[in-house]
Amino acid sequence: MHSLSKKKDWGLVLLLAPALIYFLVYHIIPILGMSMAFQDYRIIGKSPFVGLKHFRILFSSPAFFQVLRNTLIISFMKIILYFPLPIIFALMLNEVRSGFIRKFIQSTTYLPHFLSWVVIAGIWIAFLSPTNGGFNQLRGFFGLPPHDYMTDKSAIRWVLFASEAWRSMGWDSIIYLAALIAISPSLYESADLDGASTLQKMRFITLPELLPTMVTVFILNMGFFLNAGFDQVFNMMNDSVISVIDILDTYVYRIGLVNMQYSFSTAASLFKGVIGLMLIVSAHCGSKKITGKGLW
Amino acid sequence: MVKDKYPPKKVRIPRAELFSRWCFTILLLLASILVLVPLLNLLALSLSDPSRVSEVRGLTIVPKGFSLINYKVLYANPLFMRSILNSVFITIVGTALNLIVTSMAAFALTRPKLPFKRFFMVLTIVIMILEPPLVAEYLVIKKIGLMGSLWAVILYKTVNVYYLIIMMRYFEEIPSSLIEAAEVDGATNMTILRNIVFPLSKSAFATIGLFYGVFHWNEYFRASIYLTDPMKYPLQLILRQFVVLDDTASLIGSGALYSYNEAARLSYNALQASTIIVAILPVLIIYPLVLKYYTRGVMEGGVKE
Repeated sequence: MHSLSKKKDWGLVLLLAPALIYFLVYHIIPILGMSMAFQDYRIIGKSPFVGLKHFRILFSSPAFFQVLRNTLIISFMKIILYFPLPIIFALMLNEVRSGFIRKFIQSTTYLPHFLSWVVIAGIWIAFLSPTNGGFNQLRGFFGLPPHDYMTDKSAIRWVLFASEAWRSMGWDSIIYLAALIAISPSLYESADLDGASTLQKMRFITLPELLPTMVTVFILNMGFFLNAGFDQVFNMMNDSVISVIDILDTYVYRIGLVNMQYSFSTAASLFKGVIGLMLIVSAHCGSKKITGKGLW
Repeated sequence: MVKDKYPPKKVRIPRAELFSRWCFTILLLLASILVLVPLLNLLALSLSDPSRVSEVRGLTIVPKGFSLINYKVLYANPLFMRSILNSVFITIVGTALNLIVTSMAAFALTRPKLPFKRFFMVLTIVIMILEPPLVAEYLVIKKIGLMGSLWAVILYKTVNVYYLIIMMRYFEEIPSSLIEAAEVDGATNMTILRNIVFPLSKSAFATIGLFYGVFHWNEYFRASIYLTDPMKYPLQLILRQFVVLDDTASLIGSGALYSYNEAARLSYNALQASTIIVAILPVLIIYPLVLKYYTRGVMEGGVKE
């Protein structure tokens, strides 16, 4: 029996084949195509090798540094500022005793996670509309004049932050809620008998129990710091605010597929890819080391 | 969804705790309202009588009057109706293909008999963490002649490596003695996958199928770069042009709208709202299933650690 199970079965490679063909077309060949970052891409004929030309242009371009800055600021808001929100959400939800109310809250707040950014952008553009949007109607109740947030450079990043929270806060709280439910009730019961206050229970029982989950989520998110959310920015962008929310991925798309500067765009992709790879690998190793759980 | 595991307490709850509990409940209900109001507002806008649409403000959640005229206009628009068909086609064919290819790969990768198993595992991880440049992917699709074809959109993310790994975790739970017994009986790999692995991991297929299905329904970006003929566009792309980019010509310009006498009275905003509602509807329909499988999966994954 044992010798039988050791024999390799080439038929299994056949099962793997469709996936391998997909990887080849959509991943491996495009990754090898990165070499065009060092060439001047020509559609017909041989593309000449130009070394680091495109990288030199990239790193001497003020536009690129603005894009990099936008990416870092938006990621900072969406990863670090946003970080406590789902935790607070889960902590509050855990205190709701009525099963019906809890289910209602969960079913409504998880929903936006499944809507596309096209739909969410549509909803938010309507909600923030200066003429008949809900938010400006609310402002009206407080005697404030309507404000057009979608075209306001100083507000648009907060619109990104708020819409991200609107979409993800409920969904992202699930992992914390699961960790909260796993805490043994006897811990709280004995704390109650000792006369511990709500705050003390939070400080000495809940937070320490949540810490591993918090560390895992935080570190893994850091691995995607250069992404900043293409679909969201792409759909909420307009000419008035492009200078403050243009991120690496939207920039790569625009110079590559709109302006058709194939090699230059690929150089920018390669830059993002290399830094991103370092971030992901260190996030994985960091997480593995601290919590024993990594990306793979 | 979440199991109710709070037994009635014998200890009397201090008043402060009771108060904070109510505050939390109210705050969370506000979050629910914040999600629901913009959605209900669009629904109200889309169902209101065209002559009373101007009465619908941002926080209105009940239609003013009632009319299905916006939906009738959309129904009469060939581009819009075609886009729904395209989206349904992409979603069904795409998800079926995803499940077949992903489960075959996951099965092969979990079998100890797979030759070069280690190499294939490393390759999978490399695929997961290396993001190919957009332009390079675009040029490959162009070169192999998929440009302008729905297949370029359907095949994108045929295998999502994250889901592949989730599926492998499920398959690893299946006792290997079951599979080995079938092998001794001379069953082929495909038979084992179909008759043993699949029935034992239906919830994995359901969960991952939902992941993939939602992904395909919501996809617009690959469609926007690979498709050239507007009659092939999926709904999300039409929605993006019409609502996000505010491009009237894309829908209204296609003629059918003006064949309606009421067209002049129609509110552009109400028509946009109806488009959004139509795009959300399928997600709402499968949402109870999503809550059942998906959320439970995430919860269990979290508990297991």
